[in-house]
Amino acid sequence: MNISDKLINDLAPRKFGRWGVIWTWSLIIISIAGIIAYIDQVIKGQIVTNMNDYALWGIYISNFVFFVATSFVGAVTVAVLRLTKNTWRTPIVRIAEIISVASIIMAGITIMIDMGRPDRLLNLFIHGRMQSPIIWDVIIIPTYIVISLLLLYFPLLPDLALLKKHFKKTSPKLSKWYGKLSLNWTGSAAQKILQMNSIRIVAFLTIPAGFMLQTIDAWLFSTLFRVGWDSTNMGAYFISGASVAGVGALVTVVYVLRRAYKLEDYITDFHFDKMGKFLVLTCLIYLYFNINEYLIPEFTSKKEEITHMNVLVTGKYAPLFWFVNIGGLIVPIITLLFEKGRKPLPMFFVGLLVVVGSWWKRYLIVTPTLLNPFLPMEGVPEAWHHYFPSVHEWLITFATLAMALLIITILVRYLPIIPMQRTADEQEALLKIEKNKEI
Amino acid sequence: MSKRNKIRKMFSAIFFLILLIPVFQKLYAQDAEKNRVRLKADYVKIMDGEIYFDIGATSRVNNENIDVANITLIISNEFNDEETELGKVTTNMEGKAKFVLKSLAAIKPDSTNTYNVVISFMGNDGFKRASKSISFKDAIIKANIITKDSVNYMSATLIDASKDSLLSNQLLNVQVQRLFRPLRIGKEFNSTDENGTILVPIEEGIPGVDGILTFEVVLKESDDYGTVKAIVEAPLGIPIVDESTFDERTMWSPRNKTPLFLLIVPNLLIFGMWGIIVYLTVNLFKISKIKNQNQKNENI
Amino acid sequence: MEDNNKNSRRKFLDKGLKLGIATAIGGLGISKITTKLNAKNDTHSGEKMELMTTDGTLIEVDSSEVMEMVHSENEEEKYNLREGMPNRKFVMVIDLAKCKNALKCQVACNKHHYITGEHAWIKVYKMQEDEDTAPYWMPTTCMHCDHPACVTVCPVDATFKRRDGLVLIDNERCIGCRFCMAACPYSTRVFNWSEPGQEVTLNMNMEMAHRKHNSIEYTGMPSVKGTVDKCDFCPHAIKENVLPHCVTACPNGVFYFGDKYEDTVTNGEESLRLSKLLKDKSGYRLMEGLGTKPSVYYLPPVDRLVDFKDGLENFTGYKSVDKPE
Repeated sequence: MNISDKLINDLAPRKFGRWGVIWTWSLIIISIAGIIAYIDQVIKGQIVTNMNDYALWGIYISNFVFFVATSFVGAVTVAVLRLTKNTWRTPIVRIAEIISVASIIMAGITIMIDMGRPDRLLNLFIHGRMQSPIIWDVIIIPTYIVISLLLLYFPLLPDLALLKKHFKKTSPKLSKWYGKLSLNWTGSAAQKILQMNSIRIVAFLTIPAGFMLQTIDAWLFSTLFRVGWDSTNMGAYFISGASVAGVGALVTVVYVLRRAYKLEDYITDFHFDKMGKFLVLTCLIYLYFNINEYLIPEFTSKKEEITHMNVLVTGKYAPLFWFVNIGGLIVPIITLLFEKGRKPLPMFFVGLLVVVGSWWKRYLIVTPTLLNPFLPMEGVPEAWHHYFPSVHEWLITFATLAMALLIITILVRYLPIIPMQRTADEQEALLKIEKNKEI
Repeated sequence: MSKRNKIRKMFSAIFFLILLIPVFQKLYAQDAEKNRVRLKADYVKIMDGEIYFDIGATSRVNNENIDVANITLIISNEFNDEETELGKVTTNMEGKAKFVLKSLAAIKPDSTNTYNVVISFMGNDGFKRASKSISFKDAIIKANIITKDSVNYMSATLIDASKDSLLSNQLLNVQVQRLFRPLRIGKEFNSTDENGTILVPIEEGIPGVDGILTFEVVLKESDDYGTVKAIVEAPLGIPIVDESTFDERTMWSPRNKTPLFLLIVPNLLIFGMWGIIVYLTVNLFKISKIKNQNQKNENI
Repeated sequence: MEDNNKNSRRKFLDKGLKLGIATAIGGLGISKITTKLNAKNDTHSGEKMELMTTDGTLIEVDSSEVMEMVHSENEEEKYNLREGMPNRKFVMVIDLAKCKNALKCQVACNKHHYITGEHAWIKVYKMQEDEDTAPYWMPTTCMHCDHPACVTVCPVDATFKRRDGLVLIDNERCIGCRFCMAACPYSTRVFNWSEPGQEVTLNMNMEMAHRKHNSIEYTGMPSVKGTVDKCDFCPHAIKENVLPHCVTACPNGVFYFGDKYEDTVTNGEESLRLSKLLKDKSGYRLMEGLGTKPSVYYLPPVDRLVDFKDGLENFTGYKSVDKPE
């Protein structure tokens, strides 16, 4: 099992250069600004947001839904691609797992920001009612956090052992940490069997867990009567939307890391081509669900549905609606259907469009429905008929996004972005096959 | 006394009085600043039950009618130009008070068999003194349920207790006791006939706890007799059936009554998943515990 | 000699009488004046009380303005507060033929529950199903549904359905997730986005308020920041056999309230049999198709007693409730 030094040098985590430090500090500053804004919110109450008795949920909730959706990338990339034996996934699985972990942790934090009484958090556990969809959410999110962490950790063990050796001379302290975390990994047969078994199990487990997570998130809306939420479609809709958001985020982050760490040899155009095809597949499925969701109400023209649709298609939210659907969905599909569109740079922009489109899509799910209740909005101030997030809300939301990126940054700083041992094994296997061919 | 002295004395007396006029004026003016209390009192007699006065005190302050709370009222029996105190009450926050008479024997009627009672307020710093007198004669209602041709009727007779005479052409109400206001049975006013009796059919199908209904026959606020009420309990109602879902396992019940499906399936899923997670964590420990047999090889 | 004696006696009597009258009048005058002065002191007693508001600031309030509220001290309640009164099912009937948007119900409800800000637990809507159908005024309270969507989704059992039909909120347990508000199709719940600011409306020491009244039957006394409030059918009143405040405040007798098991509802003046009322006047419930089974019935606006236009003068599309002075 000779792992070339070149491979280790290429893939081992390196210290941040100037841009890396600037990047990290910017994220920290944004996070701190958000924390200060949150403390202000706790003191004054949620009056500092622009939410009111009608727009009772705002971007805190849509941000939360976005994080939950993005965390699906772990289940989709690692597990689904694995089950379907897509071997090209090797260089990107670690990034996918990292994004998954960061997203789901931030989802858990973000939802607590929306609570009116965060000091009563423990009531959820002491007095929880199994009949409430929120309790299902409270159960599945920590479960998925743990599963995602295990999914990240098990394949990491051999790499941690490699890094321990690699850093022994240059940074002994770091090397010691790698050693501890590698759990005395030696690559022995017994350990390998345990590890492979565990990976198989956790990869398998992450699929139903991920599906349950997305479905429960969808049921937070579809178990209610409101127009636009009361849809039997919601569970599948959210799973499909999460695939889109997750893979889009993956594409974007992969591109950035590839550029930053010069990993062109490991993540090639071939990988981008495959990811592009994957993304276009998820987008097409999502497009199908969107057509069902938006076109059919126009057909039956129920009064409440039409009011809701008009607001989206031609009314107050039209610019956002069309940006999300054309910019966030149609343009990516068209671009990715062509081979030229699946080159790395165009895919980066497509990925960005998809992620931004996904974020605003969740805003479109939450807010217009709430501002269109069954009974007319009368006898309330004019300001209550609209909702646009306040400065506090933006600061806090940006802080959560920054914190997610910060988690990714920290993990990328200390963990090999591409699985080293596995890449080495695959390269060796390839060499053997070629040798056999020659013979 | 000489005439001159007399006149001098008279003048000095008058002068003295004149001096005191501003004092009087001030006192009178201050008295006029006080608000006037309006007392309202009703005499209520419940057959085989309480006899009491329902008293209310209001006042018009700043063009608004307000309830006068926390004032002490004295209830006395007026008899032969004498007032015998029967007791005291203090009005509550709503300006209302209830004074219960132990029995009518405690007060004395006058020659016309009329009881005269005075409710007086001694006045305080905010309010002037006031009083209200009420007079009433003792009347009795005898009420019972009779059944004729399988129809239930409420039969009630109104009697003047002192003269033991039947009172006709008096208006009685028949009603069923309910939580907030009683429910009327029969016509709004039932006039007693020459035998002082009314006969009111009781409609079917009125619900009551365990089928028991409490009927009231009321002579309301009559000028001579006050309010007299007779209460009759009879099992003529339909028993109440509790249709509440409180004891059932529903989606909206508290957590000790969750539907069984939600108790079983989610917990199976949770324990299943966490069981696997625990197994995986144990695997992590196992991996770290495996004694290194290849270490020598590694070092080479 | 006798003459002298008579004279001196008369003189003595004269003087004595004058002195006596003077003393009497003077004494009376003095006593009245002093009591007047004392009374003046009582109404504006220089005595001040130091109280603490809910955000920890100390304020000085004239002690005459601090009223001890005396509620029935029945600490041994006859029933579990979360279970409710046995053998009762409270319902309300709203007669749309009589409503002319007087808004007295809203004023009384806001006053008796010390509601602050732009909130109102009763809303009167200007309804018109279509251009061709007749407009009418529709007051809505919490429907206290028998299949309450809000209770189903509450994660911590902070809102709950009682045996007597009432749906109440425990604002010591509510975590402020607002899922119940999203679930309610009647838009009847309000949220305390900030400190409710009830120091003025409650006119009492907030410490006292928390200690004495903070029970689930005294919603809004006090309200808690970051929790949900709504109409509660006034359990503190109905358990004393007093009608809810909206019922008694309405000048047009629009609200009827009662116990469905007793089959009787009353608007304070007339008491009717519920089943007969609903049958004769074709009572219905709001959004029946949603399956929430509300406890509030509506009588259709036919044979109107008032003209719809009479209510327009009180209709303020964007203004909420009048603030207390």
